[in-house]
Amino acid sequence: MSGRARIVAAIVAKDLRALTRDRFYLIITVLGLVAYVAIFWVLPSTVDETIEIGVHQTGLDRFIDQLGDGQGLTVTSFGSADALRAAVERGDEVTVGVSFPPEFLDRVRAGEPTTVTVYLGGEVPDAVRAVVAGSVRELAFLAAGELPPVTLPAERVVVLGEDRVGNQISVRERARPLFAFFVLVVETMALAALVASEIQARTASAVLVTPAKVSDLLVAKGILGTLLAFGESLVLMAAIAGLSSYPGTVLLLLALGAILVTGFGLLAGSSGADFVGIVFWTMAFMIPLAVPAIGVLFPGSATGWVKALPSWGLVDGLLRVSAYGEGIGSLGTQLVALAVWCVVAFVAGWIVLKRRVVRL
Amino acid sequence: MSWVNVGRILGKDLRLGPRSPILLFALVMPFLITLLVRGVFGGLFDSMPRLGIVDLDRSVLVAEARELEGIDVRFLDDPDELRRRVEAGELDAGLVLPEGFDVALRAGERPPLDLFVAGESLASERLIVAIGTLELVRRIAGEPAPVEVGVVDLGEGGLDLTTRLLPLIVIYAVAVAGGFVPGASLVEEKEKGTIRALLVTPASMAEVLAAKGVLGVLLALLTGVGVLAVNAAFGAHPVALVVGVVVGAVMAAELGLLVGIWAKDTNTLFAAWKTGGIVLFFPVVFPIWPELPQWIARLGPSFYFLEPIFRVATEHAGLVEVWPELAIGGGICVALLPVLAAAGRWLERSMASGAGTPEEAGVAV
Repeated sequence: MSGRARIVAAIVAKDLRALTRDRFYLIITVLGLVAYVAIFWVLPSTVDETIEIGVHQTGLDRFIDQLGDGQGLTVTSFGSADALRAAVERGDEVTVGVSFPPEFLDRVRAGEPTTVTVYLGGEVPDAVRAVVAGSVRELAFLAAGELPPVTLPAERVVVLGEDRVGNQISVRERARPLFAFFVLVVETMALAALVASEIQARTASAVLVTPAKVSDLLVAKGILGTLLAFGESLVLMAAIAGLSSYPGTVLLLLALGAILVTGFGLLAGSSGADFVGIVFWTMAFMIPLAVPAIGVLFPGSATGWVKALPSWGLVDGLLRVSAYGEGIGSLGTQLVALAVWCVVAFVAGWIVLKRRVVRL
Repeated sequence: MSWVNVGRILGKDLRLGPRSPILLFALVMPFLITLLVRGVFGGLFDSMPRLGIVDLDRSVLVAEARELEGIDVRFLDDPDELRRRVEAGELDAGLVLPEGFDVALRAGERPPLDLFVAGESLASERLIVAIGTLELVRRIAGEPAPVEVGVVDLGEGGLDLTTRLLPLIVIYAVAVAGGFVPGASLVEEKEKGTIRALLVTPASMAEVLAAKGVLGVLLALLTGVGVLAVNAAFGAHPVALVVGVVVGAVMAAELGLLVGIWAKDTNTLFAAWKTGGIVLFFPVVFPIWPELPQWIARLGPSFYFLEPIFRVATEHAGLVEVWPELAIGGGICVALLPVLAAAGRWLERSMASGAGTPEEAGVAV
């Protein structure tokens, strides 16, 4: 090991000792991780993609089957209109009910007026309210033997992209990058606090009267921050089954993510006058960085400007690998964007902290 | 206890407070989060399927489509761009109206419907879009439905996700302003040693704690009521809402002071919030995902002010409906008072014995 490497290693070891001596910090870190893991496993693991309706009808089964093409609609039959209405009012079995009068089919075929009653309970979204009424009208057209006024594609609709009906990505799967992001951000604060305390206590100056140079100190802080963030996020990903698909790619993304947040940690640490200031600056960085992390919870929501944010490559990459099973080959844009931001954040953090340390 | 002394300490904190970034953080951040949720994510939390339409026919269907219920309709110029956005999942479905579509439709020629859906769209969203589109074209074709649909509303409409995120914004506003600020203020006084200076004046520890607590309650009220106003969530019974915020503010201030009394420095204080905050924050998860077992939320103390606030804001509930939860919340606040008094006496004894000094807190002065 060269002289410089030995000095850097000594500073890293000193900082690690300082952190591990803080039993409270260790306990809190472990408890925090346990809490994140527990919350992750409580999140819904399936996606309910059907509209559940209760129906009271006679002789309409084949039309109802045609309507949903067997997908998107789950029908529960009720023996009477009163039973259906009571079930909708209770809201435990169905929240939407459609009651067809017994003479519905005959009247529609005869072109005579008839009325179908739709019962709507609470918690029914506008989209479902509209589609139920529309479905009833469409069913009446089908029953009357009237073809749609347009020619529908052979398979009713054309699906673009991988058809995920029945195989949707759950909220739990989508939330995985969000949890990794939060763990990384929390470590940003830990590093920022360490840096700020060295500046406040002027121990950074004390280190510089030894053979250590400013660059050694900065490299040591960078390595320490990256190790902490990477280590903790790695433990989290292992505990939330985030390493089951392309673990090498996940490790690469986490490593880049750790470097990214270390850059912001150095910035926050050198900018903050005290711990409260660090919290303020870290939050100032975190808010925009959190936008892509929350955005991945909602498919297709990331617009162009969101993709320009530093954390987009990290969270989108993690989502694609861990939830969609995509390999490194399809993550070119994400990895390049993340790597560029890593360089920008790290260089900015390095410059600002260097100026601060030199002025001490 | 002298309330004059409490007022003087409070006045000092209010004068010096604006110099601290934490105050700015506590006051500004809830509104920034509101902006983020409403402005950036508002559209994302909309559960309506997104249908893109490219109209190459100047079709009358476009005007009708704007009125479609339950579908978020967007208009584009380029069919290729529409296909790209559907394939990327930015839209749930796409519809291209070719030239001559309206004429063919009205002539009964049954023109092909160029409708396509995103692979990631839900089966229910596909059904909604398909039914909505068919209804539209039947309307243009002039085909009256052979049935009347009578809708019987047996409950109130569901809540969108933006509304369901309201407890998150409220708890953030109340917990940070009401809990973190007085806790941080107390710890800062311990770190800098100014609390000792205060205690050699006629002010007692109880008065110091009361002043910090009142500061937290005032700030929490300001931010709590402020974010509710910004989110247009006052409901039909604003008094019930304010009572809910008061309960939350007092509870947050008491918990914040307890943590502040215990924490030896700001690092410890923050670490305690980092983990202990989960206890305060976890009940907000349950309105976001109503399918989770809702009883779990009742295990968190913040449930007893968040739930009433949420019901007043979204269901227009009044005090009559929400008083049981508010009473439990008030009971928790009352139960915390003797704990706080005991903690205050412990801190006083610790300081008298030399503990709690800046040196003890590990701060260079």
